[in-house]
Amino acid sequence: MKYMNIHEMRQELVQLGGGAHALAIQILGNADDAADAVQDAVTTALTKPGAYDDRKGPLNSWFLRVVRNRCFDLLRRRRSSDMPVDELVDPAANPEQALEIAQRDQVLKQALALISSEQRQIIVLRDYLDLSYAEIADVLSVAQGTVMSRLHRARLALREVLKGHGE
Amino acid sequence: MANKTQRIDEHVGELLSGYLDGELTQQQRQRVDIHCDTCTECKKNLEELRALRESIGKSRLSEIDQDVWREMMDDTTVRTSRGIGWLLFLGGVLVAMGIGVYEFVIASSLGLVEKLIVGATYGGLAVLFFSVLRQRLIERKTDKYKDVEI
Repeated sequence: MKYMNIHEMRQELVQLGGGAHALAIQILGNADDAADAVQDAVTTALTKPGAYDDRKGPLNSWFLRVVRNRCFDLLRRRRSSDMPVDELVDPAANPEQALEIAQRDQVLKQALALISSEQRQIIVLRDYLDLSYAEIADVLSVAQGTVMSRLHRARLALREVLKGHGE
Repeated sequence: MANKTQRIDEHVGELLSGYLDGELTQQQRQRVDIHCDTCTECKKNLEELRALRESIGKSRLSEIDQDVWREMMDDTTVRTSRGIGWLLFLGGVLVAMGIGVYEFVIASSLGLVEKLIVGATYGGLAVLFFSVLRQRLIERKTDKYKDVEI
C-alpha cells in the first residue's frame, strides 16, 4: 500500500522540517543550503508521493534519507565539504533567549565541528530527532547491528571534545 | 583520550549507549545494571553520556519553525498544481487553435479573399495580445515596487 493521504504526508513533513534541517546543517555546514536541501526534498516528496511506500518503513526515515541524499548531491556540486564552524547550529537566534542559548549552543557547535560528519549525523538522528536504531540504520543505509557501536563512538568522541573545550 | 575510551570498552562499552536509548534486551540491561552497581567508572560514564544526550536534545540546531515549513509546503503544492493547470490549459488552447485553423483554412467554404481578411483580423488580434502580454511580463519582472503593499 502506498501512502494514501497527501494531507497526512504534508502534516508529517511539517513536523519533520526542523529536524531534517538540523540534519542537513550537519552535512552541509550551512543553514541556507540546508534549508534549500530540505525544500528540494519536500518538493520531491509532494510531487512524487508514490515514491514513498509505507510498507518499507515510516515516513520520517524515508524523508530523512531523501534529505540526506539531496545534501550529498549539493556537496558533490559544491565539490567541497569544508565546514564553516559557525554555521553548524542555525545562527538565527531569538534575541530574548540569545544569551543562554548562544552560550550552550556555541559550545556544542564548536564540539560538533570537531567530530566527523558521520558522527554528527548519527548523534543528531538519535539525540536530536529521537530516531530508533532501526530507523537510523534505514536513514544511514547501514546494518542495524552497527548503529549502537557507531553511536557510542560518536558520543564518546563528542564528550571528549566537550571535555577538552571545558578545560 | 584513546586510553580512556579503551578503558570504557573493557567494561560495558557500547552497551551504555544502548542502555540510555532503551535498545537493549532485558539480559543486556541487567548486565549493565549489575556492572554499574559496582563500577564507579561506568556509572560515571553513563551519567555523562546521559547529560550529553539531554543537552543535545535541548539544543536548537534549527531555528526554522513549523510555520515556515508549512508555508513552504503550501507554496510547493500551489506551484505544482498551478503548473499542471497551466499545462492542461495551454495544451487545450493549442489543440483548439490547431483544429480552428485547420477548419478555417482547409475545410471552410470561404473564398481566399474572405479567408485573408478574417485571418488578418484574428492574426492582428493575436499579435496585439502577445505584444501586451510580453510588455506586462517584462514590467512584472523588473518592477522593484511589486512587493510593496498599499
